[in-house]
Amino acid sequence: MKLVLSTSNIMSGGPSVMRRPFFEKSNTELTSSLRSNFTNQQGSPTQSGPSYKSWTTQADGALYIPTHEPSPLTEPRESYDITVKLFYLPNIPADRRCAQTREAIELVLKELGSKSIDLLIVSFPGISFDADDEDSDLEDPPSAPQSTSEGCDESEVPPEDIETMAATWKTLETLHSEGLVSKLGIAEFGVARLQKFLEHTAIRPSVNQINVRDCCVVPKPLILYAKQQQIELLTHNDCTNILPRGTLRQILGSGENGSGVLASESNKDGLRGDVAPQWVVKYTAVVKDRGVVENKGYFAVAELRE
Amino acid sequence: MGLLAIGTPLEWPEAKKVASHVRSWGIEQLLAIWRDYKGKERDALLWGDEIEYLVVCYDQNNHKVRLSLRQADILAALATDEKLLAEGGGVPDVQTGDTKGIANPAPVFHPEFGRFMLEATPGKPWGIGFKDLLDVEPNMKWRRKIAREHMEASEFPITLTTFPRLGNKDTLIPDYPPSGPKLRSQFVPDEIANPHIRFPTLAANIRWRRGRKVQVNVPVFKDENTPWPWKDPTVNYDLHNWPEDDDVRNGAAPDNFIHMDAMAFGMGSCCLQITFQAKNIEEGRTMYDQLSPLGPILLALTAATPIYKGFLADTDVRWNQISRAVDDRTPEELGEQPLKNDRWRLPKSRYASNSTYISQDPRLRKEYLDPDLIVDEDLKKRLIEGGMDNALATHFAHLFIRDPIVVFNEDLKELDLTKADHFENLQSTNWQHMRFKPPPIGSEIGWRVEFRPMEIQITDFENAAFSIFIVLITRAILSFNLNFYIPITRVSENMETAHIRDAVSSQKFWFRKSPFPAQPASRSNGPGTSTPANMPSRPPTPGPVEDEYEQMSVNEIINGQNKEGGFPGLIPLVESYLNSMNVDVETRCDLATYLDLIRKRANGTYWTAAKWIRNFVQTHPDYKKDSVVSDEITYDLVKAAEQITKEEGHDGLGKEMLGSRR
Repeated sequence: MKLVLSTSNIMSGGPSVMRRPFFEKSNTELTSSLRSNFTNQQGSPTQSGPSYKSWTTQADGALYIPTHEPSPLTEPRESYDITVKLFYLPNIPADRRCAQTREAIELVLKELGSKSIDLLIVSFPGISFDADDEDSDLEDPPSAPQSTSEGCDESEVPPEDIETMAATWKTLETLHSEGLVSKLGIAEFGVARLQKFLEHTAIRPSVNQINVRDCCVVPKPLILYAKQQQIELLTHNDCTNILPRGTLRQILGSGENGSGVLASESNKDGLRGDVAPQWVVKYTAVVKDRGVVENKGYFAVAELRE
Repeated sequence: MGLLAIGTPLEWPEAKKVASHVRSWGIEQLLAIWRDYKGKERDALLWGDEIEYLVVCYDQNNHKVRLSLRQADILAALATDEKLLAEGGGVPDVQTGDTKGIANPAPVFHPEFGRFMLEATPGKPWGIGFKDLLDVEPNMKWRRKIAREHMEASEFPITLTTFPRLGNKDTLIPDYPPSGPKLRSQFVPDEIANPHIRFPTLAANIRWRRGRKVQVNVPVFKDENTPWPWKDPTVNYDLHNWPEDDDVRNGAAPDNFIHMDAMAFGMGSCCLQITFQAKNIEEGRTMYDQLSPLGPILLALTAATPIYKGFLADTDVRWNQISRAVDDRTPEELGEQPLKNDRWRLPKSRYASNSTYISQDPRLRKEYLDPDLIVDEDLKKRLIEGGMDNALATHFAHLFIRDPIVVFNEDLKELDLTKADHFENLQSTNWQHMRFKPPPIGSEIGWRVEFRPMEIQITDFENAAFSIFIVLITRAILSFNLNFYIPITRVSENMETAHIRDAVSSQKFWFRKSPFPAQPASRSNGPGTSTPANMPSRPPTPGPVEDEYEQMSVNEIINGQNKEGGFPGLIPLVESYLNSMNVDVETRCDLATYLDLIRKRANGTYWTAAKWIRNFVQTHPDYKKDSVVSDEITYDLVKAAEQITKEEGHDGLGKEMLGSRR
């Protein structure tokens, strides 16, 4: 069975959107907002918790955790910039990505009540951006606890080869030509990888996203190359390894901070089987001329195998 | 400060007679605007900053610096510069070029109260495009460059909040004798004020209404050799030109205080003000409320005013001096005499921290409001009859407890509902730390909120940093729906705290513990949400208001509390907002240098201008540890400020404020 986990809009959800620089790893935005949305939907968290059936919905062979209710955008579509970032996960055959991508976009479009998105960025598993070790010009480096990627768990896999990425890109090019997506983007590409990758693209990426930790030390060659290729370098603070092994099992389990969807000693009623994460998508809808984030959230999809 | 129409201003006794008349017409004009514009929707974020300069004039040979009173000449030069006009710049009160088709129009310049001041604003408002934000600092530098080019070689536009020796002999050029008929100040001449009839009338009528001169008393800083008790040596007790000369003989100049007696000592201060356009009236009201508690924090963080009239003061910011410099309250209103002729006692000057919250936000608990707020009940009733809701009607009926100070005879003939002159008469002479501004009649401009507490900084880098920080805070407030409410009287208390020497490091401020909802929010988006039956549809009854806030240092408020569940910090909130946005790496890097300045000011790594100036004086060879800031020190200080403006710490001067950046 497929499990569709959602955070709903996390902007007004309070603390889960805030990374606590002193205590938490940076990839907790997804996990803590999933948890908080589940708690929210379960009702009173103090009791042992109601059966998962009361706050989830089964439809079309999928279990929606929690029951998904779209929150359509309030203003006309043209007021918004909708950015979607799709995280392909490690150890998932690349030939599934075509279907996964469509599925992810459909979920987002349904959530936002929209027919298209402005920018689709894909994150391939295992890539992490290496800024050159050139010394910064800054004598007085920012004191910011800005760095985020050190809060990420080590990548579980090596990056895949360019041909695999290029095959995936074909899918995205199709979405682009269908008008579903206006611009395409990639994440964490250095100059060498970017050069090789571009040779394989018919529709070129408009965006390359780089982790903010490096924003003041992004190597000059990359900046120049991106300018030359008219690729915009954008910042982000996501972990490429967004869903480390075992995370979903914990969130759905019956232990501390679990939501009691999976069966355990104390929860015979729960679902049984192995949880295999498939992909994660993050979406952001920003009111363009006011710079206000109206809706931001995640979907994470997993297979439950008996 | 835009100039109102020219006409014949009434002297105070005449103006007083028509005060109610002006107020009621002002309220009718407000209602007309409110009816026309309350439904105005979906305005973009546009914003603007205002930079105010002191024009100083160096006398190199005598190692002396004076304030230049050539404002009018400089503005005339700016208004007739063909090149500037062709680029869309100029002086709106005189003439400006056509900005149509100009992508980056030249800045525009405005007169200010002090004849030694100049104000400059961008040629067009800023948007929220992040690349727009990076134009702010170059634009501020452009403004200063243009201003400088229209001055004499010996002059320079400097961004110190106050001129250190204003009020001493031989500090103005050209010089005039003090004790003129309008100000009746024993320290500064009438010519210190902009000659436009509005300004001398404002000063004169405030004095007249008050029944004596304004009393701007600042505690003097007690240094090793400062005589104690300290008696302001510049006060002349033997002057007999005007009845008001009795003020000092009647105790206007107490021991241990630097005594000043004119509007120019306050309204001659330079500030950094930011105005935002909201998407609609509701968003404007939300921004007004949520920015209010940040006011005192930003005042403390931008502290830049440690010297008055040639003496080190024991406070660091300008705010209360301006407040006292335009305080028109009568002895009855001040509570010094029993109420006989006046309507009420007034706890605050017309220039003060704000006393109202105005949003219809359900998070606004009635406990946050001031139970002792003074309002004009008749005017409030009229506003409510006119359809306005209670919160907004209360706000304006509170502003309208004041008398109009400058009334032009010509405007009293008939009520013109297509104008806002009477409304603006009161609105623009209520100088609170936030201002809620209705749209100008007939324009495309929407509802706006002005953030007014910040002190001007020495460099354009800092002024850009603080402007952009506030803009980003508003975006974070709206995106995360943050809640900074605390009782408004605590905000006023914080405003006082912000004055204390080095408040940024030494003091704590009342602040809300969590800007987020207490309980996980219910799914607020989308109508018809079907929540499980056992889920409370509303958050439980909130606990005592006192449990919602506590005392925090500026560092904790800006950078976050280092404890589980503690206040996340304004900078981390802004960064979290930026992480949700598509920002290119170069922009993010530049924004990071701005945020870094604020982060380090808050945690004490970098000094405020007040601390730096204080240190400059106290380590100057001419300083005798007696609190006196001499001509010699002032010359070197102003020269140093000019150098810092140009070098921004790169040459080492001022690095305690700015770090060794870039």
